[in-house]
Amino acid sequence: MSENTTPSAAPAANVAEPMGAPPSPLRETWDYFRKNRGAYVGLIVIAIILFLALTAQWIAPYDPIAQDRTAFLKPPIWMDGADPRYILGTDAVGRDILSRLIHGAQLSVSIGVFVVILSMIAGIVLGMVAGYFRGWVEVGIMRLMDIMLALPSLIMALAIVAILGPGLENAMLAIAIVQLPHYVRLTRASVVSELNKEYVIASQIAGAGHVRQMFVNILPNCMAPLIVQGTLGISSAILDAAALGFLGLGAQPPLPEWGTMLSEAREFVGSAWWVITFPGLCILVTVLAFNLMGDGLRDALDPKMKR
Amino acid sequence: MLGFLFRRLGDIIPTFFGVTLLVFFLIRLIPGDPILMLAGERGVDAARYAELQAQYGFDQPIIVQYFDYLMGVFQGDLGKSFVTKKPVLDEFLVLFPATVELGLTGILFAVCFGVPFGVLAAINRGKWIDHLTMSVSLTGYSMPIFWWALLLIMFFSTTLGWTPVSGRLSVMYYIEPTTGFMLIDTLLSDEKGAFISALRHMILPTIALGTIPMAVIARMTRSSMLEVLGEEYIRVARAKGLSPLRVIMVHALRNALIPVITVIGLQVGVLLAGAILTETIFSWPGIGKWIIEAMNRRDYPTIQGGILMIAFLVMGVNLIVDLLYGVVNPRIRHKR
Amino acid sequence: MALLEVKNLTVEFGSEDKPFRAVDSVSYSIDRGEVLGIVGESGSGKSVSSLAVMGLIDFPGRVTADALTFDGQDLLGMPAKRRREITGKDIAMIFQDPMSALNPCFTVEAQIMEALKVHEGGSKKQRRERTLELLNQVGIPDPKSRMTAYPHQLSGGMSQRIVIAMAIACKPRLLIADEPTTALDVTIQAQIIDLLLKLQEDSDMGLLLITHDLALVSEAANRIQVMYAGQLFESGPADSIFSAPRHPYTQALLEALPERSEGHDRLRTIPGVVPGQYDRPAGCLLAPRCRYANESCVAARPEVSDFNGRDVRCFYPLNDQGQPTGLNTGGTV
Repeated sequence: MSENTTPSAAPAANVAEPMGAPPSPLRETWDYFRKNRGAYVGLIVIAIILFLALTAQWIAPYDPIAQDRTAFLKPPIWMDGADPRYILGTDAVGRDILSRLIHGAQLSVSIGVFVVILSMIAGIVLGMVAGYFRGWVEVGIMRLMDIMLALPSLIMALAIVAILGPGLENAMLAIAIVQLPHYVRLTRASVVSELNKEYVIASQIAGAGHVRQMFVNILPNCMAPLIVQGTLGISSAILDAAALGFLGLGAQPPLPEWGTMLSEAREFVGSAWWVITFPGLCILVTVLAFNLMGDGLRDALDPKMKR
Repeated sequence: MLGFLFRRLGDIIPTFFGVTLLVFFLIRLIPGDPILMLAGERGVDAARYAELQAQYGFDQPIIVQYFDYLMGVFQGDLGKSFVTKKPVLDEFLVLFPATVELGLTGILFAVCFGVPFGVLAAINRGKWIDHLTMSVSLTGYSMPIFWWALLLIMFFSTTLGWTPVSGRLSVMYYIEPTTGFMLIDTLLSDEKGAFISALRHMILPTIALGTIPMAVIARMTRSSMLEVLGEEYIRVARAKGLSPLRVIMVHALRNALIPVITVIGLQVGVLLAGAILTETIFSWPGIGKWIIEAMNRRDYPTIQGGILMIAFLVMGVNLIVDLLYGVVNPRIRHKR
Repeated sequence: MALLEVKNLTVEFGSEDKPFRAVDSVSYSIDRGEVLGIVGESGSGKSVSSLAVMGLIDFPGRVTADALTFDGQDLLGMPAKRRREITGKDIAMIFQDPMSALNPCFTVEAQIMEALKVHEGGSKKQRRERTLELLNQVGIPDPKSRMTAYPHQLSGGMSQRIVIAMAIACKPRLLIADEPTTALDVTIQAQIIDLLLKLQEDSDMGLLLITHDLALVSEAANRIQVMYAGQLFESGPADSIFSAPRHPYTQALLEALPERSEGHDRLRTIPGVVPGQYDRPAGCLLAPRCRYANESCVAARPEVSDFNGRDVRCFYPLNDQGQPTGLNTGGTV
């Protein structure tokens, strides 16, 4: 994904607008976003997934880890030999797949959001410090990020999990660390380009302190590319977390994490298609939705693309 | 050109040391005493403990330890596996060809489908083939490949019975490894049908591994092609009375592929990460599966060595891609 | 018979029901050995009309004409393959910006030889010799060493010479030069124009010179066409257009020339810009910018009509004194 999204020069808002009040930046972005059908669909899907995640406790028909010993590996209800109580069938120990998928949405969404928030906060601080103070601080931080980028993200995450030990929290921490360089680089690039703008110099003369300069004055002008990267980061966090779960290093059974579910279902590849198909489909749809929205946001926020 | 090479090497050296440092401290960060962990549940007495500590150099100051480690790396010594007691580098080299073979077929698949479809989408912009290519590409890009591999197995292996489920070769054959590349080894051998068997074993892992790079390459080719097609020299080429095919294949593609080559180079990391998942699912005896097994067994020297080698590999390939970029792009080649 | 005959050429973009006419019923013809100048501001449709002659208007654009013939052959009706045999061989084109007209990935030699290979065949050795000859012809110093150069190693003037060599490689009978000097340094401009005219004279080519530079075209061309917003506004012999413009727009263009502004404090300009897709006036397209415009100009669009032997699109063509005729009030300046 592009960490080279060039930092937006604060868009000189509608200089050439001949008539009428210029639309507010938010409004304008929304209009662009809405014209992109893919992004719109992505947003709707994300809304549905969010709804399912937030209401999982009440919506899911069964407890996701309750085992029904009378119904092992029952197919979905439209198949022969189905158990009418379980819409999408059951897994090898008689757990309702639909309920597990809905609770899985809760897990995946929280993984994605938590990882991105964690990584973004740390990344912004590091990138801001590097870009604001320059000098050896910058060289040190950026070199470290280069080194982290020399390793493929999943392998880096595996290495960190290998140190911390398997488990959901550790996997999330590992993915957050892996994503860090993207935010650091983006923030630093934006800050460096903002630093020479007159508003920064003006408030410096007015006596603004370093912290105020960095986080009150400069940061808001660097947010557009970060928001795009964050959205795309959610999708890769969900994907990586599922991969770690699948390898047995992420969420541990019986947690209904989608990747972990697939890992447990692997042995039924020849006999029970539903235990494999549905969790993967959920991952694909969720990741796709966030990618679509990220792409749409990028197009809407990137001033170069406008007009 | 030489200056360009040296400049790139200059960029890489700090990263090289950084990676060794990172990998070195990886082990030190593990909670718990590595020697006690090595000894397992049997435990060790104090004398044996001291002996082991000296053997692994854990009694030295950390700077000395790192220096020793670095010296070892330069001499090709990545330590010995806790489990098999064999040198890590030897194990790596035995398994490496299998991963390379899979990686090469994967990237070949990705390029062979990604580039043509990207071109087709670009020249048919806004038509159904463009929408189809872009939808497939976006889906492929978002695909969890471990699931995709399982789907492929489910459909082609267990339902249709067209391809084998796992491994590199049917157990009917035994091939003495000469190059380590199964496709070449089977061709060289006298065993009839071994090559076909090896080929059939390759198909699904190749598709599983190549899908994400294919999606990325198709997208990149399309956007790069669209940009080039708007250039004046394309119009000039058409004004020469060249056939549309020649304009696209000779004038547009050559220029459009320049950024695509960089993207192909960047896929090496994606491929290696994908190899971990693909090899695990297809029981493919390569370094991906090896590292995962090492992680499950907490075989730290192997994890450490494996990660270091992968990092070197990615850095090396990126360097090669940069140089290749200079070859295809005259503007870079001539820059002093 | 004229070499190139264009009758009511129209090029449209956009949807069928609300098309944008980039070129609106333009007619002209050009004979062998003749230099025709097409003049107009940016956006006047002069480049688009020449692209239509070359067959380089792509799908969303629609080209229609009552006649578009080259040497008696109908260019629009013929199969694409046949047309490509003519383009690049009998009709060649030189583009505005030489720096972007050359493919950055190929050497000078390869790009010139390509046209030769496609249209004339012959051995590689013959083609190479011909290329060398061409580079000599367009005045490139030390042509041998330039053969293997890449475009980024050449200056703008040098690139334009290469582009010209590329265009005349197959000895075209008609050469279209679309603003061949706009992107070049002033010192180089005259050299390039001289080169073009010399090549034109030597091989008796027809030359279609498209430019916004009226001074340039007045020296080079036999006849001149003035275009505005896709329409033909005035056409006639070069010297008479210069001495006695019949269209207010031509008059204004001439007055904007620096040498005609002597005695004035500043250069005279034409206020406003050429109307685009969305701001076309209902009446005469020039009306918002014309100093003589009145209600009838705003109400209806004038057609091209004959005025003292010249084609003019104006309700009130100018007389020899530069005053509009047929206006009752006389002078609404």
